[in-house]
Amino acid sequence: MRHPADPDDPAHPAAPGVRPFLGNSGSGVRYQQLPPALPPGPPLGEQGTSLRPFVLTSGRVDGLDPNIGLETQVSSQPGAPSTRLSPEQRAIVHLCGDPLSVAEISARLRMHLGVTRILVGDLRAAGHLDVHVLENDFPDPETIMRVIRGLRSIS
Amino acid sequence: MDFDPYPDRRIVGTARVPTGPTGPSGPQRTAPPVPVKIIVAGGFGVGKTTTVGAISEISPLTTEAEMTMEGVGVDDPGQASAKTTTTIAMDFGCVTIDQTLKLYLFGTPGQTRFAFMWDDLVRGALGALVVVDTTRIDDCYPAVDYFERAGLPFVVGVNTFNGQLGYNLDEVRWALAVRDDVPIVQFDARFRGSVRDALLVVLDQALDKAMKMRAS
Repeated sequence: MRHPADPDDPAHPAAPGVRPFLGNSGSGVRYQQLPPALPPGPPLGEQGTSLRPFVLTSGRVDGLDPNIGLETQVSSQPGAPSTRLSPEQRAIVHLCGDPLSVAEISARLRMHLGVTRILVGDLRAAGHLDVHVLENDFPDPETIMRVIRGLRSIS
Repeated sequence: MDFDPYPDRRIVGTARVPTGPTGPSGPQRTAPPVPVKIIVAGGFGVGKTTTVGAISEISPLTTEAEMTMEGVGVDDPGQASAKTTTTIAMDFGCVTIDQTLKLYLFGTPGQTRFAFMWDDLVRGALGALVVVDTTRIDDCYPAVDYFERAGLPFVVGVNTFNGQLGYNLDEVRWALAVRDDVPIVQFDARFRGSVRDALLVVLDQALDKAMKMRAS
C-alpha cells in the first residue's frame, strides 16, 4: 500500500533525501558540496590555446563568407579600439598590421582554418579588419602574364 | 594580449604601432598584393609539400582544417566510432612576384574523403598541379576527377623521386585517361627550377582559359 503523503515516489515514501530541494532546503547540505567542486573544474593553466574550436566561434560552424578565401588578404584597421575582443581576435588584429593572407593567419596562430575565417568575418563586420575581396573570380590574362614573367625570373 | 605563440616574430606587430609619429596611418599603409593561387594536389606522400617547399620563399606553413559531418559517409569511420570530425593539415607557401602580386601554393590532401574542402580551395585558383607517383598512380584519381569536373586547368606532374620514371608519359596518360589537352610533364619536386617549369605549364593552361573567357 502506498504512502498517501508521497504519491510521486512510492518506493521511498518516507526517505528524507528523495527530494533534496524540498526536504533539506534549510539544512545547507547542498551548499557545502558545491564550493569544493568549483576549483578543480576548469584547468586554468591550459585554457589559453586548447579551447575547442566551437568555443572560439561561439558555437558557429558555418555561415562563412565565401569571399573570405585562403589567400584573401587581410589588414587591420588602424585606430579601431581593441577593447572587448577575445585574445584570439586580438591576436589576429595584432598580426595583420601588414596585409596577410587568411591561411597565414591560421598557420601562425595555429588556429583552425574554419575558425580563422569566422573570426576574420566577425572582425571585419566590427570594423577591426579590412578584408580585400577581389572582384573577379578568375584572374585576367594580364595578371597571369605577370605571374609567368615573375616565375621565369626565378632561377 | 598575452596570446603570442610566436614571440620571436613580435617585430611583425611592433612594425606598425598606430600611435607612432607618422600621424594618419591610413593612406601610408602597405597596399595588399593581389593574391593568386595554384593548387598542388595528389595522394599522400607523393611530394606535395616538397614541391611547395622547393619554390616557396617561406618554408611551408601548415594550416589545419576540420573535416566535419560533410565527410561522413565518404570517410566511413565505422559504426562503433563516435568521431565526427577529423583534422587535416594543409601546407602552403608563397612566391612574391612583385609588390602588388603574390602567388600562393596550396598543397592539398588528394584523398576522396577530403574533397569537401576543395570547393573552397579551387575558388579563384589559376590552376592545379596534380603530383603523381608512378608506383601509386591511382592515388591521384580523385584529384583529376575533381578538377575535370570543376573546369579548373590542371597539369599532371610525374614526380621523378629517384631520378627515373617507371613508365613513359604516354603510359601515364593512358592509365589516367585524361584528355589529350591536359599536359603531362615530368619533374623533380626537390628542385626549384623543375618545380618552376611545371608551374609554368599550369600557368600556360590558365592563360588559355583566361583568354577564352575574355573572348566569350
